[in-house]
Amino acid sequence: MKFNLKTLTAAVSCALLPTMAMAAQTTDEKLAQLEQQIKTLQTQQTANLTEKFNFNGFISGAYISSDNDAGYDYAGSSANFDQDSKFGLQGAFQVNDSTQAVMQLMMRGEDNWDPELEWAYLSHSFANGIQVRGGKLRLPLFMYSDYLDVGYAQPWARPPEEVYNGVPVSAYTGLDISYDLELADSTLTFQGFGGSSRVNANADLKNSLGGNLSWTDETWTLRATYAQGTLEGKVTTQVNLSPDPSAPVYADYTLIAFDDDKATFTGVGASYDNGNYLVVGEWTRSEIDGLYPDTDSGYLTLGYRINDFTPYATLAYLATQDDAQRTQDDAQRTIVDQQSAVLAAAFNAERTSYSLGLRWDVMANIALKFDATYAHKFGDTSGRLPGNLGRSFDDTLVYTVKFDAVF
Amino acid sequence: MKKLLAVLALGLSCISYANAAVVVIGNNAGPGDMSKADAKKLFLGKGALSNGAAALVFELDEGNPLRSQFHELVTGKSDAQLKAFWSKQVFTGKGNPPATVASAAAMKTAVASAPNAIGYLDEADVDASVKVILKP
Repeated sequence: MKFNLKTLTAAVSCALLPTMAMAAQTTDEKLAQLEQQIKTLQTQQTANLTEKFNFNGFISGAYISSDNDAGYDYAGSSANFDQDSKFGLQGAFQVNDSTQAVMQLMMRGEDNWDPELEWAYLSHSFANGIQVRGGKLRLPLFMYSDYLDVGYAQPWARPPEEVYNGVPVSAYTGLDISYDLELADSTLTFQGFGGSSRVNANADLKNSLGGNLSWTDETWTLRATYAQGTLEGKVTTQVNLSPDPSAPVYADYTLIAFDDDKATFTGVGASYDNGNYLVVGEWTRSEIDGLYPDTDSGYLTLGYRINDFTPYATLAYLATQDDAQRTQDDAQRTIVDQQSAVLAAAFNAERTSYSLGLRWDVMANIALKFDATYAHKFGDTSGRLPGNLGRSFDDTLVYTVKFDAVF
Repeated sequence: MKKLLAVLALGLSCISYANAAVVVIGNNAGPGDMSKADAKKLFLGKGALSNGAAALVFELDEGNPLRSQFHELVTGKSDAQLKAFWSKQVFTGKGNPPATVASAAAMKTAVASAPNAIGYLDEADVDASVKVILKP
């Protein structure tokens, strides 16, 4: 103890000596510097823990309503607060310098707020720059696939339905490999993936295999994707078997049964964002063997940023390409007329939509969005609107007010 | 006339004050000059230092005018764009935004604390504890 005291005094006088020598002029500065050093040390100490674990979240709340019950984005003539509202929590744990574990829990209004594990993977970066991830991952088909639910990171109130609602799966379980090639003023990213997905209770997408190539210099982004897989299971609809409408008896009716039917997806996208002008466009084609529809879709968005306001306009379309397969003429008829009519009504689709919207960055981490989308040109189809199988609507107008926040 | 000139001069000095030159700084023991393209990548969490090591990047707190000025010059991103960019990176597991510091003094201490540290400062605040590696 005595020894300790001695060294302490020595240390103090040693520490004081240079300070005294430098005289009064630097006392305040020195003090500030020491305070800063203590702060830095404290930060470094806590950094060991906080750097290992990152916790983030996002939340969106939306009001949508329509002028009719055609069901665009499940909007109806009465207000819907659930469809586009969601809450996500993400935890990322740094296992070591090159390995991390990520989990994202999502609760969606459209799924009755049931918590679902959206991402759950382990990623490892090798010294040569190759990153491998395994677990439950996002199916990287579209430009915005990776952050489909993070409204704050998107210009729109919702990604264009015509394109983004075309594929009924957004996640898969499997493996992906990616590599970033750093060019002089830009980055080229290769990504390859493989796995399988549950489409719904009745259908699975298996043996998915695909890849994409994207290039960005943070102003321009160009992207191309190809993916393929096989579908197994069936597409069903509910029919009322009871002759008495007041006492319905529902049963599943199989519209299409898949038998390892091959599905392919091709997509290209480009965006330009120089801080003021924003242009985003994507075009996709999905083809499935057999009777399930082959669909082309695309959109083009133009936006202009004025400080905290980004007004935008979007033109989007979708059209099935294989209507003839479902509505065969007599000569090559392979299915009975009635079923052919049901399939045509259920799957043939055409639609064009126009959106006008505004993103308002109200404050740090919170954006408010307003959007009006008008959809029409359904041809003699339902326009792929769930409330329009009877083709009673020629058009629909949907209003959205939404907030998106990240934390 | 003299008065007018004085007012003008005062006005000019105010303007130059408002547009203080932002410079990228590095640790004295760290790599030397870098290009604007390199700085852009590093401050967006991509790439590595010229010595191959990962950069330890420091930013000023959100809302600091020098931060906005720096990004306007180097990454070309507005505050809201930058926020959206980092939310993309975070929620796809691709990276986290750099650590932030509250003041020029804190920036200097932070950058001086590790050989691979980089940050930015108003040129007027630079002293011998760090070195200027880019004047964008």
